[in-house]
Amino acid sequence: MTTLWDTTGTDVVKALAKARRAAGGVTSGLALTLVVAATERTVAEAEQAASVAAAAHPARLIIVVRREINGLDPRLDAEISVGDRLGPGEAVVMRMYGRLALHAESVVLPLLAPDVPVVTWWCGEAPPNIIAQDPLGVLADRRITDCSQSPDPIAALEQRAIDYAPGDTDLSWTRTTPWRAHLAGAFDVINEPVVGATIIGPPGDATGALLAGWLQSRLGLAPEMHIQDGPGVAEVSVELATGGRVCVGWHDKYTAVVRRPGLPDRLMPMRRRPTGERLAEELRHLDPDQPYAATLEAITGLTGLPQRSPKRVHQWHDPALTS
Amino acid sequence: MSTDKPGQQINPLRDPDDRRLPRVPEPCALVIFGATGDLSRRKLIPAIYDLANRGLLPPGFVTIGFARDRGNFVDIAKQAAQEGARTTWREEVWERLAEGVHFVAGTFEDDAAFDELAATLTRLNESHGIAGNAAFYLAIPPVTFPLVLKQMERTKMADNEAAGGWRRVVVEKPFGTDLPSSQALNTLVDDVFTPNDVFRIDHYLGKETVQNLLALRFANTFFEPVWNGLYVDSVQITMAEDVGIGTRAGFYDKTGAARDVLQNHLLQLLALTAMEEPVSFDAESIRTEKLKVLRAIALPENPATHAVRGQYQQGWCAGERVLGYHDEQGVAKDSTTETYAAVQLNVETRRWAGVPFYLRTGKRLPRRVTEIAVLFREAPHLPFSNTDTEQLGQNQLVIRVQPDEGITLKFGSKVPGSQMEVRDVAMDFLYGESFTEKSPEAYERLVLDVLLGDSTLFPHAEEVAASWRVIDPLQEFWSQVPPALYRAGEWGPAAADGMLAQDGRTWRRP
Repeated sequence: MTTLWDTTGTDVVKALAKARRAAGGVTSGLALTLVVAATERTVAEAEQAASVAAAAHPARLIIVVRREINGLDPRLDAEISVGDRLGPGEAVVMRMYGRLALHAESVVLPLLAPDVPVVTWWCGEAPPNIIAQDPLGVLADRRITDCSQSPDPIAALEQRAIDYAPGDTDLSWTRTTPWRAHLAGAFDVINEPVVGATIIGPPGDATGALLAGWLQSRLGLAPEMHIQDGPGVAEVSVELATGGRVCVGWHDKYTAVVRRPGLPDRLMPMRRRPTGERLAEELRHLDPDQPYAATLEAITGLTGLPQRSPKRVHQWHDPALTS
Repeated sequence: MSTDKPGQQINPLRDPDDRRLPRVPEPCALVIFGATGDLSRRKLIPAIYDLANRGLLPPGFVTIGFARDRGNFVDIAKQAAQEGARTTWREEVWERLAEGVHFVAGTFEDDAAFDELAATLTRLNESHGIAGNAAFYLAIPPVTFPLVLKQMERTKMADNEAAGGWRRVVVEKPFGTDLPSSQALNTLVDDVFTPNDVFRIDHYLGKETVQNLLALRFANTFFEPVWNGLYVDSVQITMAEDVGIGTRAGFYDKTGAARDVLQNHLLQLLALTAMEEPVSFDAESIRTEKLKVLRAIALPENPATHAVRGQYQQGWCAGERVLGYHDEQGVAKDSTTETYAAVQLNVETRRWAGVPFYLRTGKRLPRRVTEIAVLFREAPHLPFSNTDTEQLGQNQLVIRVQPDEGITLKFGSKVPGSQMEVRDVAMDFLYGESFTEKSPEAYERLVLDVLLGDSTLFPHAEEVAASWRVIDPLQEFWSQVPPALYRAGEWGPAAADGMLAQDGRTWRRP
């Protein structure tokens, strides 16, 4: 591990190359570069999750902590490790102070692994309202946000639809995968018209809203939302024209119960996955997620999301002027 | 409102674009004959657990064990799953799976036991909603197949219509011992099950690299133009094992390396390497292309010079003294069964005319390795002096099937320094490096495909027959020739090296 205080981007590039040579590694095995935008409060969580994900997808990991944007002196501190505490790959953790934080891409661009996809993840913070204002989002091919971190997740989700570009996804969407898998599995053996759907979950929950949007996009009907306090979605059910109900809910912390008409209830393994595992699922798919776009369209009524340009153009934004 | 169109099974929640949702089979049962045996405990049960852990099994999935000795099957299965699982152990996953584990005790002659099995399956229709769907895995010696199949015919367990769902059967190699016996076996299985419901397992085809061979050839631009006799000098396909025959003497002494490995694994790998591009990536199209290659295989004109078989003698393997084949328990002192086989085959097509395919397999070789090496011709002209390129060999593309699944490209490169000197270097792609996610075990993939009814990765009866047509004349020739001897821990008999040397080639050290 190498630590550089008050350094420059050039020195970081050199130090990374040196560390890589010393470890005997080459870049050939890298599948992607993962850029994590974090804050001092979330950097520990970011490191933990990113090292889990890096074990499944060999990535060069670049964690950027931007601090004291209004501070006077721009400054860069960096820590470089290869096959060390941050998983099997190459990792650079950088802290950027002062005005440098607004130009993070100037340090990050030369550190990107050659010609492999770049994924940017905003960790533990509400995503920027307009991703084009964050240069770290502009340089990415895939962008991962997390609306559940926002004070108003539903509004954040709607903003994601307004600001959508192909290649965006959200970790609240990843949370829907096990639910969607169990529901789709239940419908493999049912061939009946659907007349309604209900989702039971806490108020203002992004995952519940996305599940509703997905059901709407697939079934063409708006699910009812029933409020019940809890850590997340509690139950999803679909009503059939024949009067039966297909229902997926929690049995206990590690088990879901799947109910289908005319068949005995089934218990299936299901659990709330830690951030690292969800991030790893995101990194498995580097192409635009069409069902996610269709779901956002269903939630907001916007259209043409998949046809938008996947490239964003940087918009200059100075928080010092707006605040 | 989008609802199901009448008469069509369309799941409104499934979307081909939605690749996060896993392919999950319909509710069904897997019946394992020989459930307490080696294959079941080492491979099948762990594969089932891993599938469950990845969320790839349907709700109400049922495992039924059928074996003679009762014991406590759930405990045996749990221990097997715990020892063999590739994914992390989660008690709750096992508990859910164990709810669907049943056991029927009996011998294959026992009518009552099969009646009970049939009754259990009918009962599960109600209680687990499997809708008559069941796959029967014959993890038992081939001599017992006729008995079991007759029992299934008698109880109508193999009958799709009587069951109201699909009924499939999974057969392990060896598929017979020669062409007539394999055809007899096929007729027997096809009589009881419909041909499309028969799945023959060749677990090599479940390996990631083997599937990747097709991706490599047909998804890329720059391999296909050189994938022919104009650029390829020869192909070497190797499957080496460091172990001896262990406790399988009874089976192995009757079988030998050619029938055990050459007939199935190596010829399948050859077919995938040499086949033309399939019109699409479905089972039917791939099978068509593989069959064309298998039927185009020609044996060497003179097998005396281009087919070698061998038998290991005592020696040292990985630092341990090991017995010779004759001294293994259960092997006759005068056994002429081969433990090593090497042969040159030709594929008589425009693409491969004049390119020898060297296949070899053996036991007690220095290391366990399976690979396909495509060796390219030397450059027609080298503008360097002879001394500059002394260290330059043939360009090679090596597909490593196991261990360290991956691909190596070997080419010449200048040695840094003031002199012009060209030497071979290797460029490596390692599966474990670019996709560290634990790739599924071959059996996991294949069991899932059986339950999904996808036969892409399973050799068809016609492929098996075509393979026997290659091996039978070879066996006939070999039956007249005593095996050449080699010391355990060597790369096979000297005659195998001689076989390549007469063509001016050498075996690649894998």
